Amino acid sequence: MESLLFEPFEADFMRNGAAAAMLVGVLCGTVGCFVVMRGTALLAESVAHGVLPGVAVAVLLTAGTSGDPDKAAILAGALAGGVATAGGTAVILRRTRLRDDTATAVMFVFMLALGVVLISRVEGFAVDLTAFLFGDVLSVPGWEVALTAGLTAAVLAVLWLLYRPFVLVSFDRRRAASLGVPVERTELALMVLLAAAIVVGFTVVGALLVLGLLIAPAAAAALLTKRLPAMMAVSAGIAAASGPLGLLISWHFEVAAGASIVLVAVAAFAVTAVLRPAR
Amino acid sequence: MLTARDLTVRYGNVVALEALDVEIPRGRSIAVLGPNGSGKSTLFAAAVGLREPTAGVVERGTDRVAYLPQGLAVEPMFPATVRDVVTMGRWGDLGLRRRMSARDRELVAGAMGELAVDHLEHRRLGELSGGQRQRALLAQVAAQDAELLLLDEPFTGVDRPTEDTVRKLIGTWRDEGRTVMVATHDLARAARDYDLVLALNRRLIAFGLAAATCTEDVLAATFAGHIARVGGLLIETEHRHPGAG
Repeated sequence: MESLLFEPFEADFMRNGAAAAMLVGVLCGTVGCFVVMRGTALLAESVAHGVLPGVAVAVLLTAGTSGDPDKAAILAGALAGGVATAGGTAVILRRTRLRDDTATAVMFVFMLALGVVLISRVEGFAVDLTAFLFGDVLSVPGWEVALTAGLTAAVLAVLWLLYRPFVLVSFDRRRAASLGVPVERTELALMVLLAAAIVVGFTVVGALLVLGLLIAPAAAAALLTKRLPAMMAVSAGIAAASGPLGLLISWHFEVAAGASIVLVAVAAFAVTAVLRPAR
Repeated sequence: MLTARDLTVRYGNVVALEALDVEIPRGRSIAVLGPNGSGKSTLFAAAVGLREPTAGVVERGTDRVAYLPQGLAVEPMFPATVRDVVTMGRWGDLGLRRRMSARDRELVAGAMGELAVDHLEHRRLGELSGGQRQRALLAQVAAQDAELLLLDEPFTGVDRPTEDTVRKLIGTWRDEGRTVMVATHDLARAARDYDLVLALNRRLIAFGLAAATCTEDVLAATFAGHIARVGGLLIETEHRHPGAG
Protein backbone atom coordinates (compact mmCIF):
# COMPACT_ATOMS: atom_id res chain seq x y z
CA MET A 1 0.00 0.00 0.00
CA GLU A 2 2.78 2.37 1.01
CA SER A 3 4.59 1.74 -2.25
CA LEU A 4 1.39 2.51 -4.18
CA LEU A 5 1.10 5.86 -2.41
CA PHE A 6 4.69 7.02 -2.05
CA GLU A 7 6.81 5.27 -4.70
CA PRO A 8 5.53 7.45 -7.57
CA PHE A 9 6.79 10.56 -5.74
CA GLU A 10 10.37 9.31 -5.70
CA ALA A 11 10.67 10.71 -9.21
CA ASP A 12 11.64 14.39 -9.34
CA PHE A 13 9.03 15.29 -11.94
CA MET A 14 6.26 13.80 -9.77
CA ARG A 15 7.47 15.62 -6.65
CA ASN A 16 7.69 18.93 -8.49
CA GLY A 17 4.31 18.36 -10.12
CA ALA A 18 2.68 17.51 -6.79
CA ALA A 19 4.20 20.56 -5.09
CA ALA A 20 3.12 22.90 -7.89
CA ALA A 21 -0.38 21.37 -8.01
CA MET A 22 -0.78 21.71 -4.23
CA LEU A 23 0.27 25.36 -4.35
CA VAL A 24 -2.12 26.09 -7.20
CA GLY A 25 -4.78 24.15 -5.28
CA VAL A 26 -4.40 26.34 -2.20
CA LEU A 27 -4.50 29.47 -4.36
CA CYS A 28 -7.44 28.49 -6.59
CA GLY A 29 -9.33 26.88 -3.70
CA THR A 30 -9.14 30.13 -1.73
CA VAL A 31 -9.80 32.62 -4.54
CA GLY A 32 -12.49 30.31 -5.96
CA CYS A 33 -14.64 30.93 -2.87
CA PHE A 34 -15.13 34.52 -4.04
CA VAL A 35 -16.10 33.25 -7.51
CA VAL A 36 -18.70 30.85 -6.08
CA MET A 37 -19.99 33.34 -3.51
CA ARG A 38 -20.40 36.09 -6.13
CA GLY A 39 -21.91 33.74 -8.73
CA THR A 40 -19.28 34.68 -11.31
CA ALA A 41 -18.23 31.25 -12.59
CA LEU A 42 -18.84 32.28 -16.21
CA LEU A 43 -16.67 35.35 -15.75
CA ALA A 44 -13.93 33.14 -14.28
CA GLU A 45 -14.12 30.88 -17.34
CA SER A 46 -14.02 33.91 -19.58
CA VAL A 47 -10.91 35.24 -17.82
CA ALA A 48 -9.30 31.77 -17.95
CA HIS A 49 -9.62 31.79 -21.75
CA GLY A 50 -9.00 35.51 -22.04
CA VAL A 51 -5.36 34.93 -21.11
CA LEU A 52 -4.84 33.26 -24.51
CA PRO A 53 -4.34 36.43 -26.62
CA GLY A 54 -1.87 37.74 -24.03
CA VAL A 55 0.07 34.47 -24.14
CA ALA A 56 0.03 34.54 -27.94
CA VAL A 57 1.40 38.09 -28.08
CA ALA A 58 4.12 37.17 -25.57
CA VAL A 59 5.09 34.13 -27.63
CA LEU A 60 5.09 36.13 -30.88
CA LEU A 61 7.26 38.87 -29.36
CA THR A 62 9.78 36.73 -27.48
CA ALA A 63 10.06 33.46 -29.42
CA GLY A 64 11.01 35.18 -32.68
CA THR A 65 14.77 34.82 -32.53
CA SER A 66 15.56 32.14 -29.96
CA GLY A 67 12.55 29.96 -30.70
CA ASP A 68 11.95 29.66 -26.96
CA PRO A 69 9.34 32.04 -25.49
CA ASP A 70 10.20 33.97 -22.36
CA LYS A 71 8.37 32.59 -19.29
CA ALA A 72 8.06 35.95 -17.53
CA ALA A 73 6.67 37.53 -20.72
CA ILE A 74 4.09 34.72 -20.97
CA LEU A 75 2.98 35.29 -17.36
CA ALA A 76 2.78 39.07 -17.89
CA GLY A 77 0.92 38.61 -21.19
CA ALA A 78 -1.50 36.14 -19.61
CA LEU A 79 -2.21 38.52 -16.73
CA ALA A 80 -2.78 41.40 -19.16
CA GLY A 81 -5.15 39.20 -21.21
CA GLY A 82 -7.10 38.14 -18.12
CA VAL A 83 -7.43 41.70 -16.80
CA ALA A 84 -8.42 42.96 -20.28
CA THR A 85 -11.18 40.33 -20.39
CA ALA A 86 -12.56 41.36 -16.99
CA GLY A 87 -12.15 45.06 -17.82
CA GLY A 88 -13.81 44.67 -21.22
CA THR A 89 -16.77 42.91 -19.61
CA ALA A 90 -17.09 45.75 -17.09
CA VAL A 91 -17.04 48.33 -19.91
CA ILE A 92 -19.78 46.47 -21.85
CA LEU A 93 -21.91 46.29 -18.72
CA ARG A 94 -21.44 49.97 -17.99
CA ARG A 95 -22.27 51.13 -21.53
CA THR A 96 -25.20 48.79 -22.16
CA ARG A 97 -28.11 47.36 -20.23
CA LEU A 98 -27.19 43.79 -21.14
CA ARG A 99 -27.31 41.02 -18.57
CA ASP A 100 -24.05 39.99 -16.88
CA ASP A 101 -23.91 36.60 -18.59
CA THR A 102 -24.43 38.09 -22.07
CA ALA A 103 -21.69 40.71 -21.64
CA THR A 104 -19.37 38.06 -20.20
CA ALA A 105 -20.02 35.63 -23.05
CA VAL A 106 -19.47 38.28 -25.73
CA MET A 107 -16.07 39.13 -24.24
CA PHE A 108 -15.30 35.44 -23.76
CA VAL A 109 -15.79 34.49 -27.44
CA PHE A 110 -13.99 37.64 -28.60
CA MET A 111 -10.87 36.94 -26.54
CA LEU A 112 -10.88 33.23 -27.38
CA ALA A 113 -11.20 33.90 -31.11
CA LEU A 114 -8.56 36.64 -30.95
CA GLY A 115 -6.25 34.26 -29.10
CA VAL A 116 -6.69 31.47 -31.64
CA VAL A 117 -6.09 33.89 -34.53
CA LEU A 118 -2.91 35.24 -32.91
CA ILE A 119 -1.60 31.85 -31.87
CA SER A 120 -2.13 30.49 -35.39
CA ARG A 121 0.68 32.91 -36.36
CA VAL A 122 3.03 31.04 -34.01
CA GLU A 123 4.94 28.13 -35.50
CA GLY A 124 3.94 24.80 -33.96
CA PHE A 125 0.80 26.42 -32.56
CA ALA A 126 -1.06 23.10 -32.16
CA VAL A 127 1.40 21.93 -29.51
CA ASP A 128 1.34 25.28 -27.73
CA LEU A 129 -2.46 25.36 -27.68
CA THR A 130 -2.64 21.91 -26.10
CA ALA A 131 -0.20 22.94 -23.37
CA PHE A 132 -2.16 26.15 -22.87
CA LEU A 133 -5.48 24.37 -22.48
CA PHE A 134 -4.37 21.34 -20.47
CA GLY A 135 -1.10 22.39 -18.85
CA ASP A 136 1.94 20.24 -18.31
CA VAL A 137 2.12 19.49 -14.62
CA LEU A 138 4.68 16.71 -15.06
CA SER A 139 7.30 18.96 -16.61
CA VAL A 140 7.39 21.70 -13.95
CA PRO A 141 11.04 22.46 -13.08
CA GLY A 142 12.15 23.23 -9.53
CA TRP A 143 12.50 26.97 -10.20
CA GLU A 144 8.90 27.11 -11.42
CA VAL A 145 7.71 25.49 -8.19
CA ALA A 146 9.52 28.25 -6.30
CA LEU A 147 7.99 30.89 -8.60
CA THR A 148 4.51 29.38 -8.10
CA ALA A 149 5.07 29.47 -4.33
CA GLY A 150 6.09 33.14 -4.47
CA LEU A 151 3.14 34.15 -6.65
CA THR A 152 0.71 32.14 -4.51
CA ALA A 153 2.01 33.86 -1.38
CA ALA A 154 1.70 37.29 -3.04
CA VAL A 155 -1.89 36.73 -4.18
CA LEU A 156 -2.92 35.33 -0.78
CA ALA A 157 -1.28 38.31 0.96
CA VAL A 158 -3.40 40.73 -1.10
CA LEU A 159 -6.48 38.65 -0.30
CA TRP A 160 -5.64 38.77 3.41
CA LEU A 161 -5.14 42.54 3.31
CA LEU A 162 -8.31 43.35 1.33
CA TYR A 163 -10.49 40.61 2.82
CA ARG A 164 -13.09 42.98 4.32
CA PRO A 165 -13.68 45.15 1.22
CA PHE A 166 -13.82 42.01 -0.94
CA VAL A 167 -16.47 40.45 1.31
CA LEU A 168 -18.49 43.69 1.46
CA VAL A 169 -18.65 44.20 -2.33
CA SER A 170 -19.54 40.51 -2.70
CA PHE A 171 -22.32 40.85 -0.14
CA ASP A 172 -23.88 44.02 -1.56
CA ARG A 173 -22.07 46.79 -3.40
CA ARG A 174 -24.58 49.40 -2.19
CA ARG A 175 -23.99 48.50 1.46
CA ALA A 176 -20.26 48.43 0.75
CA ALA A 177 -20.42 52.00 -0.59
CA SER A 178 -22.15 53.23 2.55
CA LEU A 179 -19.37 51.64 4.63
CA GLY A 180 -16.79 53.71 2.77
CA VAL A 181 -15.54 51.02 0.39
CA PRO A 182 -14.45 52.33 -3.03
CA VAL A 183 -16.67 49.83 -4.83
CA GLU A 184 -15.35 50.00 -8.40
CA ARG A 185 -11.70 49.95 -7.39
CA THR A 186 -12.33 47.04 -5.03
CA GLU A 187 -14.15 45.07 -7.72
CA LEU A 188 -11.27 45.75 -10.11
CA ALA A 189 -8.77 44.53 -7.50
CA LEU A 190 -10.83 41.37 -7.06
CA MET A 191 -10.81 40.83 -10.83
CA VAL A 192 -7.04 41.31 -11.00
CA LEU A 193 -6.66 38.83 -8.15
CA LEU A 194 -8.82 36.29 -9.99
CA ALA A 195 -6.81 36.82 -13.16
CA ALA A 196 -3.56 36.37 -11.18
CA ALA A 197 -4.80 33.10 -9.65
CA ILE A 198 -5.80 31.85 -13.10
CA VAL A 199 -2.45 32.84 -14.59
CA VAL A 200 -0.54 31.01 -11.85
CA GLY A 201 -2.88 28.01 -12.22
CA PHE A 202 -2.89 27.72 -15.98
CA THR A 203 0.86 27.18 -16.17
CA VAL A 204 0.35 24.01 -14.13
CA VAL A 205 -3.03 22.54 -15.08
CA GLY A 206 -3.93 24.63 -18.14
CA ALA A 207 -6.56 27.26 -18.80
CA LEU A 208 -9.41 24.80 -19.28
CA LEU A 209 -8.70 22.84 -16.12
CA VAL A 210 -7.81 25.73 -13.81
CA LEU A 211 -11.51 26.50 -13.73
CA GLY A 212 -12.11 23.09 -12.20
CA LEU A 213 -9.79 23.93 -9.30
CA LEU A 214 -11.45 27.33 -8.89
CA ILE A 215 -15.03 26.11 -8.83
CA ALA A 216 -15.33 22.46 -7.72
CA PRO A 217 -13.52 22.66 -4.33
CA ALA A 218 -15.23 25.96 -3.45
CA ALA A 219 -18.62 24.53 -4.42
CA ALA A 220 -17.99 21.48 -2.21
CA ALA A 221 -16.87 23.72 0.65
CA ALA A 222 -19.99 25.88 0.27
CA LEU A 223 -22.09 22.77 0.96
CA LEU A 224 -20.07 21.87 4.05
CA THR A 225 -19.61 25.22 5.81
CA LYS A 226 -21.59 28.30 6.88
CA ARG A 227 -18.84 30.89 7.18
CA LEU A 228 -16.37 32.24 4.64
CA PRO A 229 -13.11 31.60 6.58
CA ALA A 230 -14.13 27.95 7.08
CA MET A 231 -15.22 27.71 3.45
CA MET A 232 -11.84 29.00 2.26
CA ALA A 233 -9.94 26.55 4.51
CA VAL A 234 -12.00 23.53 3.40
CA SER A 235 -11.87 24.56 -0.26
CA ALA A 236 -8.09 25.08 -0.17
CA GLY A 237 -7.70 21.69 1.55
CA ILE A 238 -9.77 19.86 -1.07
CA ALA A 239 -8.01 21.60 -3.96
CA ALA A 240 -4.54 21.00 -2.48
CA ALA A 241 -5.27 17.31 -1.84
CA SER A 242 -6.57 16.93 -5.41
CA GLY A 243 -3.01 17.56 -6.73
CA PRO A 244 -1.13 14.54 -5.34
CA LEU A 245 -4.24 12.31 -5.51
CA GLY A 246 -4.76 13.17 -9.17
CA LEU A 247 -1.10 12.52 -9.90
CA LEU A 248 -1.33 9.09 -8.23
CA ILE A 249 -4.29 8.21 -10.44
CA SER A 250 -2.42 9.51 -13.46
CA TRP A 251 0.66 7.40 -12.54
CA HIS A 252 -1.13 4.13 -11.84
CA PHE A 253 -3.70 4.28 -14.65
CA GLU A 254 -1.45 6.07 -17.18
CA VAL A 255 -3.97 8.86 -17.86
CA ALA A 256 -3.58 12.65 -18.33
CA ALA A 257 -2.22 14.26 -15.15
CA GLY A 258 -3.89 17.71 -15.22
CA ALA A 259 -7.31 16.29 -16.01
CA SER A 260 -6.93 13.64 -13.26
CA ILE A 261 -6.29 16.38 -10.69
CA VAL A 262 -9.44 18.21 -11.71
CA LEU A 263 -11.46 14.96 -11.74
CA VAL A 264 -10.48 14.37 -8.11
CA ALA A 265 -11.66 17.90 -7.21
CA VAL A 266 -14.97 17.38 -9.02
CA ALA A 267 -15.35 13.94 -7.36
CA ALA A 268 -14.98 15.65 -3.96
CA PHE A 269 -17.83 17.98 -4.91
CA ALA A 270 -19.99 15.09 -6.17
CA VAL A 271 -19.45 13.04 -3.00
CA THR A 272 -20.27 16.09 -0.85
CA ALA A 273 -23.42 16.88 -2.82
CA VAL A 274 -24.64 13.26 -2.59
CA LEU A 275 -23.81 12.61 1.07
CA ARG A 276 -24.88 15.98 2.46
CA PRO A 277 -28.45 15.97 3.83
CA ALA A 278 -30.83 17.53 1.30
CA ARG A 279 -32.32 20.91 2.19
CA MET B 1 -27.32 66.80 7.84
CA LEU B 2 -27.98 66.20 4.14
CA THR B 3 -28.13 68.97 1.56
CA ALA B 4 -28.99 68.68 -2.12
CA ARG B 5 -28.39 71.72 -4.30
CA ASP B 6 -29.80 71.69 -7.81
CA LEU B 7 -29.24 67.91 -7.76
CA THR B 8 -29.95 66.18 -11.05
CA VAL B 9 -29.28 62.50 -11.68
CA ARG B 10 -29.87 60.80 -15.03
CA TYR B 11 -29.60 57.16 -16.08
CA GLY B 12 -28.76 57.55 -19.76
CA ASN B 13 -31.65 59.56 -21.16
CA VAL B 14 -33.91 58.90 -18.18
CA VAL B 15 -34.12 61.67 -15.59
CA ALA B 16 -34.33 60.10 -12.13
CA LEU B 17 -34.04 63.34 -10.14
CA GLU B 18 -34.20 66.88 -11.43
CA ALA B 19 -32.98 70.11 -9.84
CA LEU B 20 -33.62 68.96 -6.28
CA ASP B 21 -33.01 71.60 -3.62
CA VAL B 22 -33.52 70.42 -0.07
CA GLU B 23 -31.83 70.71 3.31
CA ILE B 24 -32.48 67.87 5.76
CA PRO B 25 -31.97 68.99 9.39
CA ARG B 26 -30.14 66.95 12.01
CA GLY B 27 -31.96 64.77 14.53
CA ARG B 28 -35.26 64.35 12.70
CA SER B 29 -37.14 61.45 11.18
CA ILE B 30 -38.13 62.05 7.57
CA ALA B 31 -40.55 60.05 5.44
CA VAL B 32 -39.54 60.20 1.78
CA LEU B 33 -42.71 59.74 -0.27
CA GLY B 34 -43.17 59.17 -3.96
CA PRO B 35 -44.32 56.58 -6.47
CA ASN B 36 -41.98 53.99 -7.99
CA GLY B 37 -39.42 55.75 -10.16
CA SER B 38 -39.85 59.07 -8.35
CA GLY B 39 -36.15 59.30 -7.33
CA LYS B 40 -36.29 58.13 -3.70
CA SER B 41 -33.67 55.39 -4.13
CA THR B 42 -31.66 57.63 -6.44
CA LEU B 43 -31.49 60.32 -3.75
CA PHE B 44 -30.17 57.75 -1.26
CA ALA B 45 -27.72 56.32 -3.81
CA ALA B 46 -26.39 59.82 -4.53
CA ALA B 47 -26.13 60.51 -0.79
CA VAL B 48 -23.85 57.48 -0.21
CA GLY B 49 -21.80 58.16 -3.35
CA LEU B 50 -23.13 55.27 -5.43
CA ARG B 51 -24.53 57.63 -8.07
CA GLU B 52 -22.61 60.59 -9.42
CA PRO B 53 -24.85 63.65 -9.82
CA THR B 54 -25.31 64.63 -13.45
CA ALA B 55 -25.54 68.21 -12.19
CA GLY B 56 -25.61 69.93 -8.82
CA VAL B 57 -24.25 68.55 -5.56
CA VAL B 58 -25.26 66.44 -2.61
CA GLU B 59 -23.44 67.13 0.68
CA ARG B 60 -23.50 65.07 3.84
CA GLY B 61 -22.98 66.64 7.23
CA THR B 62 -21.30 63.47 8.47
CA ASP B 63 -19.26 60.50 7.27
CA ARG B 64 -21.19 58.24 9.59
CA VAL B 65 -23.88 57.14 7.15
CA ALA B 66 -25.73 53.83 7.22
CA TYR B 67 -27.77 52.71 4.24
CA LEU B 68 -30.29 49.90 3.93
CA PRO B 69 -30.87 49.44 0.20
CA GLN B 70 -34.13 48.22 -1.19
CA GLY B 71 -34.52 44.55 -2.08
CA LEU B 72 -31.15 43.16 -1.05
CA ALA B 73 -30.95 39.84 -2.92
CA VAL B 74 -28.76 37.63 -0.75
CA GLU B 75 -27.53 34.43 -2.37
CA PRO B 76 -29.00 31.54 -0.33
CA MET B 77 -25.53 30.00 -0.06
CA PHE B 78 -23.69 33.21 0.85
CA PRO B 79 -21.21 32.03 3.49
CA ALA B 80 -22.09 34.34 6.37
CA THR B 81 -24.02 33.79 9.57
CA VAL B 82 -26.26 36.45 11.10
CA ARG B 83 -23.46 37.42 13.49
CA ASP B 84 -21.04 37.77 10.55
CA VAL B 85 -23.50 40.00 8.70
CA VAL B 86 -24.09 42.25 11.70
CA THR B 87 -20.34 42.40 12.37
CA MET B 88 -19.79 43.71 8.82
CA GLY B 89 -21.53 46.87 10.04
CA ARG B 90 -18.44 47.62 12.14
CA TRP B 91 -15.94 47.16 9.29
CA GLY B 92 -16.40 50.70 8.02
CA ASP B 93 -14.90 52.01 11.28
CA LEU B 94 -12.36 49.21 11.69
CA GLY B 95 -10.77 49.64 8.26
CA LEU B 96 -8.80 46.90 6.57
CA ARG B 97 -7.37 44.86 9.43
CA ARG B 98 -8.07 46.45 12.84
CA ARG B 99 -9.49 43.93 15.32
CA MET B 100 -12.86 44.33 17.02
CA SER B 101 -12.66 46.17 20.34
CA ALA B 102 -14.90 45.57 23.34
CA ARG B 103 -17.05 48.51 22.19
CA ASP B 104 -17.39 47.03 18.69
CA ARG B 105 -18.53 43.74 20.19
CA GLU B 106 -20.99 45.61 22.41
CA LEU B 107 -22.46 47.43 19.42
CA VAL B 108 -22.87 44.15 17.51
CA ALA B 109 -24.49 42.40 20.49
CA GLY B 110 -26.71 45.44 21.18
CA ALA B 111 -27.85 45.64 17.55
CA MET B 112 -28.67 41.92 17.46
CA GLY B 113 -30.62 42.28 20.70
CA GLU B 114 -32.57 45.35 19.53
CA LEU B 115 -33.62 43.61 16.32
CA ALA B 116 -34.27 40.30 18.11
CA VAL B 117 -31.90 38.26 15.96
CA ASP B 118 -29.52 37.18 18.73
CA HIS B 119 -31.08 33.70 18.86
CA LEU B 120 -30.36 33.37 15.11
CA GLU B 121 -26.70 34.39 15.32
CA HIS B 122 -25.30 31.07 14.03
CA ARG B 123 -27.81 30.70 11.20
CA ARG B 124 -26.76 31.41 7.63
CA LEU B 125 -28.49 34.57 6.32
CA GLY B 126 -29.90 32.68 3.32
CA GLU B 127 -31.71 30.24 5.64
CA LEU B 128 -33.84 32.95 7.26
CA SER B 129 -37.39 34.03 6.46
CA GLY B 130 -37.94 37.42 4.79
CA GLY B 131 -38.74 39.17 8.08
CA GLN B 132 -35.80 37.60 9.95
CA ARG B 133 -33.44 38.53 7.11
CA GLN B 134 -34.64 42.13 7.09
CA ARG B 135 -34.12 42.31 10.86
CA ALA B 136 -30.59 40.94 10.46
CA LEU B 137 -29.83 43.55 7.78
CA LEU B 138 -31.28 46.30 9.98
CA ALA B 139 -29.10 45.02 12.82
CA GLN B 140 -26.11 45.49 10.50
CA VAL B 141 -27.27 49.09 9.93
CA ALA B 142 -27.77 49.58 13.69
CA ALA B 143 -24.28 48.25 14.44
CA GLN B 144 -22.79 51.03 12.30
CA ASP B 145 -23.69 53.54 15.00
CA ALA B 146 -24.37 56.09 12.24
CA GLU B 147 -25.55 59.68 12.52
CA LEU B 148 -27.46 59.60 9.24
CA LEU B 149 -29.55 56.51 8.44
CA LEU B 150 -31.08 55.99 5.00
CA LEU B 151 -33.65 53.18 4.93
CA ASP B 152 -35.10 52.36 1.53
CA GLU B 153 -38.52 50.77 1.98
CA PRO B 154 -37.55 48.83 5.12
CA PHE B 155 -41.11 47.56 5.62
CA THR B 156 -41.44 45.80 2.27
CA GLY B 157 -42.06 42.07 2.68
CA VAL B 158 -41.80 41.98 6.47
CA ASP B 159 -44.29 40.63 8.99
CA ARG B 160 -46.21 42.78 11.46
CA PRO B 161 -43.96 42.15 14.51
CA THR B 162 -40.89 43.12 12.45
CA GLU B 163 -42.68 46.23 11.21
CA ASP B 164 -43.47 47.25 14.79
CA THR B 165 -39.88 46.59 15.91
CA VAL B 166 -38.44 48.68 13.09
CA ARG B 167 -40.91 51.50 13.64
CA LYS B 168 -40.00 51.63 17.33
CA LEU B 169 -36.30 51.59 16.47
CA ILE B 170 -36.66 54.50 14.05
CA GLY B 171 -38.24 56.50 16.91
CA THR B 172 -35.40 55.54 19.26
CA TRP B 173 -32.74 56.57 16.73
CA ARG B 174 -34.49 59.93 16.24
CA ASP B 175 -34.70 60.43 20.02
CA GLU B 176 -30.94 59.74 20.24
CA GLY B 177 -30.34 62.67 17.89
CA ARG B 178 -29.73 60.67 14.73
CA THR B 179 -31.25 61.65 11.39
CA VAL B 180 -33.39 58.90 9.88
CA MET B 181 -34.70 59.09 6.31
CA VAL B 182 -37.17 56.38 5.32
CA ALA B 183 -38.45 55.82 1.78
CA THR B 184 -42.00 54.58 2.17
CA HIS B 185 -45.35 54.24 0.43
CA ASP B 186 -47.35 54.27 3.66
CA LEU B 187 -49.07 57.64 3.43
CA ALA B 188 -51.04 57.33 6.68
CA ARG B 189 -47.94 56.43 8.69
CA ALA B 190 -45.90 59.15 7.00
CA ALA B 191 -48.15 61.84 8.45
CA ARG B 192 -48.35 60.22 11.87
CA ASP B 193 -44.97 58.66 12.65
CA TYR B 194 -42.40 61.07 11.18
CA ASP B 195 -41.32 64.61 11.96
CA LEU B 196 -40.99 65.69 8.34
CA VAL B 197 -42.16 64.56 4.93
CA LEU B 198 -40.19 64.91 1.68
CA ALA B 199 -42.53 64.38 -1.29
CA LEU B 200 -40.76 63.56 -4.55
CA ASN B 201 -41.78 62.87 -8.10
CA ARG B 202 -38.46 63.31 -9.88
CA ARG B 203 -38.67 66.90 -8.69
CA LEU B 204 -39.34 68.23 -5.24
CA ILE B 205 -43.09 68.40 -4.68
CA ALA B 206 -43.07 69.45 -1.03
CA PHE B 207 -40.94 69.32 2.11
CA GLY B 208 -42.03 70.26 5.59
CA LEU B 209 -43.68 69.19 8.82
CA ALA B 210 -45.37 65.84 8.31
CA ALA B 211 -48.93 66.75 9.24
CA ALA B 212 -48.86 70.00 7.25
CA THR B 213 -47.25 68.40 4.18
CA CYS B 214 -49.41 65.29 3.86
CA THR B 215 -52.36 67.13 2.35
CA GLU B 216 -54.56 65.67 -0.33
CA ASP B 217 -53.26 68.24 -2.85
CA VAL B 218 -49.60 67.49 -2.19
CA LEU B 219 -50.14 63.75 -2.30
CA ALA B 220 -52.16 64.02 -5.51
CA ALA B 221 -49.32 65.96 -7.09
CA THR B 222 -46.73 63.50 -5.74
CA PHE B 223 -48.54 60.39 -6.94
CA ALA B 224 -49.93 61.98 -10.11
CA GLY B 225 -53.47 61.54 -8.86
CA HIS B 226 -53.06 57.82 -8.03
CA ILE B 227 -54.37 58.08 -4.50
CA ALA B 228 -57.69 57.20 -2.98
CA ARG B 229 -59.46 57.80 0.32
CA VAL B 230 -60.37 54.52 2.01
CA GLY B 231 -62.11 54.66 5.39
CA GLY B 232 -60.79 58.16 5.98
CA LEU B 233 -57.19 57.19 5.06
CA LEU B 234 -55.34 58.25 1.93
CA ILE B 235 -53.66 55.33 0.16
CA GLU B 236 -51.55 55.06 -2.96
CA THR B 237 -53.37 53.10 -5.67
CA GLU B 238 -50.50 52.46 -8.09
CA HIS B 239 -47.90 50.81 -5.81
CA ARG B 240 -47.80 47.39 -7.45
CA HIS B 241 -44.26 46.26 -6.84
CA PRO B 242 -41.20 47.49 -5.00
CA GLY B 243 -39.25 48.37 -8.15
CA ALA B 244 -36.57 51.03 -8.55
CA GLY B 245 -37.64 54.24 -6.95
